[in-house]
Amino acid sequence: MANFPAPEWFLALGRLMAANGELFRRLGYVETRFVVRVMPAEDGAGIDEAAGLVMEGHELTRAVRLAPAQIEDFDPDFIICGRRPVWDRMLEQIARDGRPELRQTLSSLVLLGEDLWLESIDQLREDKFYRFNQSLQEYFNLASQMPSSA
Amino acid sequence: MPTVTIKDEERIGTDARVKIQLSEYLTKLYQTGTPDLSWMNETGEWGMRAKPGPLGLRMKDIEIGSYGVVPDRGGEHRSMAPRGAVLPEGLPSLDFTVNDKYECWADNVSELYEEAVARQWSSARDIPWSELKPLPDDLERAMCQLCTFLTEVEFIAADAPTRWMSRINHDFFEVKMFLATQAMDEARHMDVFRKRALANGGGLGRASVGNERGLRKIFNAPSLTAQTARLHLLGEGFVLTVFRQGEFIAPSRVDQEIFRRCMQDESRHVGYGSMHLRAQLKARPEIAEEVHTELDDAERILLDIFSEPESVEPMAILMGGGVKNFDKGMEMQSNLWRRIVAEYLQRCDSAGLDRRPRCLLPTDFAKLVAAPA
Repeated sequence: MANFPAPEWFLALGRLMAANGELFRRLGYVETRFVVRVMPAEDGAGIDEAAGLVMEGHELTRAVRLAPAQIEDFDPDFIICGRRPVWDRMLEQIARDGRPELRQTLSSLVLLGEDLWLESIDQLREDKFYRFNQSLQEYFNLASQMPSSA
Repeated sequence: MPTVTIKDEERIGTDARVKIQLSEYLTKLYQTGTPDLSWMNETGEWGMRAKPGPLGLRMKDIEIGSYGVVPDRGGEHRSMAPRGAVLPEGLPSLDFTVNDKYECWADNVSELYEEAVARQWSSARDIPWSELKPLPDDLERAMCQLCTFLTEVEFIAADAPTRWMSRINHDFFEVKMFLATQAMDEARHMDVFRKRALANGGGLGRASVGNERGLRKIFNAPSLTAQTARLHLLGEGFVLTVFRQGEFIAPSRVDQEIFRRCMQDESRHVGYGSMHLRAQLKARPEIAEEVHTELDDAERILLDIFSEPESVEPMAILMGGGVKNFDKGMEMQSNLWRRIVAEYLQRCDSAGLDRRPRCLLPTDFAKLVAAPA
């Protein structure tokens, strides 16, 4: 079983997204390309990893591994950056409860810009994170149905 | 075929004051039985076929041939005749006053319309109201006051743009359609925050003089350009941050779902405003001064709003987790203020407006008290 943030992990989540098609159709379609970047912990443990994801309609249509230097060429609308322990904590909560705790959602973590933060070359493109936020959160919440979430 | 029964059919028209003359066409049709069919030879581009994409037939899929060309100036007939239709003589004008594309257009407007239609939601169906639980008194009061504020301000983004909607040349129908979705979004926001205020034993709180002054300025904006600057760029951008804060401070999943869904809607409105401003500045760089002047006033009003306890304290109480943590909440609010200002200025950048030298908003929340009034 692939581990977060390998492209295979996101693709497996994408298959769950397809299997839960009615939920995502009801939320409405999504059109965005973005990067999930997992950075080493404060103590330096772990490596800098990133996955480039493309969502079209109600599907994840692409997931690729990206080296940090390749992120710009992927031309993402936004990059969700965070250190490994923060991502792990969110995914553990999702695995346990089916969704993160209050104040641990993607949007909440990004708001203060301390645990997770967004990077983008254009505020309008960054705003897609908010325009499609419910779909993005539901997509990550599907990790609760994965045999191994992190 | 079964006959449709109309109640009291024999009475219909017995007291009519006006006599209808059968038209020349209908007279001829009934006399000869031969249809006219001349309209069959008057079509825009016969034979062109729009093809649906994976998500169905969207607006961008029908932007083909001449139908996809949005004119720089709307038709001088100023009627509601569809863009691309054959225009007969005698179309009655509706006296539209917004007739230039740059006055209303945004390059993402069709995309935002379609997205809005696809991502509609219902406050009755999609919010898990049954999970709402009693909250500590201070948190419930703060949430109810925040909901009062949002119920008060949200519908301005329907009332104000729809005043202009009816004045926009019908050749820019995509803009009208988007503004209609915005009005629907705002109706839902008014509905959901009113419901939330009433759903947990709290109720509505205090209306705000400061808010009302700001709303009046938006409502009375002298042009669509002026309104876009005030409403879409600054106002909606600010409320978008409030919704994001709301998602963060939500004391329950019910509140979190409400704010997250509203956040999505509001992002579309900000997206239209930013791109509309970009289109205007590209076409008419000289309007930058008008936009700056509007923002000078709008920023001052925003600062006024932050001078009222009912606007500042509920969010701080919710951020801190109670009145006892008010200072902590204010500190968090202070950090968020920098984000509000940063994102607002980045949206101005994205629109092509260098607002930084003129901006009245201090980057440090603590300096609000020393800000120019």
